[in-house]
Amino acid sequence: MEAKSKILLIDDEEVVLDSCTQILAGGPYQVATASDGTAGLRLVQEFQPDLVFVDLKMPGISGFDVMEKVHTMDPTIVMVVITGFATISSAVDAMKRGAYDFLPKPFTPEEFRLITCRSLEKRKLVLETIALRQEKEMLREHFAHIVSHELKAPLSAVQQSLFALEFELSKTLSESQKEKLERAKIRIDDLIKLINSWLRVISVDINKLKEGFTQISVKDEISKALDNLELYAVRKDIEIVTSIGDVLHPVIGDGLSLSEAFVNIIGNAIKYSHDGSRIVVNAKENGTDVVISIQDNGVGISEEDLPHIFDGFYRGKSGQAMATGHGIGLAVSRQIIEAHNGSIVVESELGKGTTFTVRLPKWSNQP
Amino acid sequence: MAKRLLIIDDDPDFVSGIKAILDTAGFEVDVAYDPKEGLQALQRQPYDLLLLDIMMGRGAEGVMIARKLRKDAKLREMPVLIITGMREQIAFLFPGEPIHPHFVEVDELVEKPVEPNLLLEKVNSLIQAAEERKAGVS
Repeated sequence: MEAKSKILLIDDEEVVLDSCTQILAGGPYQVATASDGTAGLRLVQEFQPDLVFVDLKMPGISGFDVMEKVHTMDPTIVMVVITGFATISSAVDAMKRGAYDFLPKPFTPEEFRLITCRSLEKRKLVLETIALRQEKEMLREHFAHIVSHELKAPLSAVQQSLFALEFELSKTLSESQKEKLERAKIRIDDLIKLINSWLRVISVDINKLKEGFTQISVKDEISKALDNLELYAVRKDIEIVTSIGDVLHPVIGDGLSLSEAFVNIIGNAIKYSHDGSRIVVNAKENGTDVVISIQDNGVGISEEDLPHIFDGFYRGKSGQAMATGHGIGLAVSRQIIEAHNGSIVVESELGKGTTFTVRLPKWSNQP
Repeated sequence: MAKRLLIIDDDPDFVSGIKAILDTAGFEVDVAYDPKEGLQALQRQPYDLLLLDIMMGRGAEGVMIARKLRKDAKLREMPVLIITGMREQIAFLFPGEPIHPHFVEVDELVEKPVEPNLLLEKVNSLIQAAEERKAGVS
């Protein structure tokens, strides 16, 4: 049998308490009453109601104050206001302080029953939402665990063995054997990178970055990103041309995550560039911002895909060679840049190329 | 004389990949496949370097080993190279950039899988740093 719903009535008029208790008698309810705010609040703690009816005008603590306190004790408790002076403004006030509904006196038993049912339904929904949210959080953690252990660990072991094979056989392998090994290594590396991006999305709270913000040189972070991507660019025979102002104003932020964002964006440009083409990375000041643009002459992004490329877990239908992990890196990058109070926009034409433009506010002494 | 290394890692497939590289490079390599076995090996004889996995058994048992090393006057001097798969704990990494977890005086962290050249570079530089430190202290 389902537990009875607990209802607390707080009103200084005994006749209201009595009649409401009468109306609810025989239903699947457990009812408690209090004749003033202080007693009511004590009962909220002892009785742990699902639903509280509060009279607005009582001697002692006002109904509004009771509501505020109940809300801080347990925001999932549903509250309904009973009042003798039903005005629009008091109704609005009550709603603002967390009331779910409003019952003007006098009311009929039918009205009271109806509002009780509706409010308890609301309470059920609130609790279900919380349970679902917890379940989702648990699934997310489990997923992170499964991904990191069951998927990444075996891939790392395979890759490590390939490394070892290549190292041991470096003098005996023929060119074509080396090439096969290289291909295997690259594909596994792509998979590991993809898993790392998933883990990043799942497990890191990017907004916490703000706690560790310091003065950052955009030039340094771009250089680090370019170092990181050098091999990748060389492999595709892509020339990266940089034009970065030497006296570029610093920005405020987290260096590691900014260079991560640049790795993602420039890496994306390399991925979708044709072999042997060129990418231009440009950084300059513009008013109160530092503006970084990354321009490629690659496959481009179609008009229908363009609005979605920062969505994460999104991969376009058009364009060629939509390789692994397209969306996640860009989604993470946008989160990082937005955590820096910056912005990222993209312009693209299918078959012509893509330009990403990142704006980061300049560092200043003013908070 | 060849340097003696100990690997503590519970993934035999991963260990075989690491060990092959270190063997080929001329190191003498012992392996322990669980934390308990690893601690026993460390008590039995001195090693020039420890390669330590973090996530073993029921959790971060590698961290427990590192904490025990710190409390041991003799083992504290041994350099440690932590090789971990849990990138999500250490955010974004640049391959090759030194990360010092500071479990013991001389340590560094690299991510699984680790390229042969990077592995050997880290192993050699950690052993050298520990030797220099020892020479400077005594």
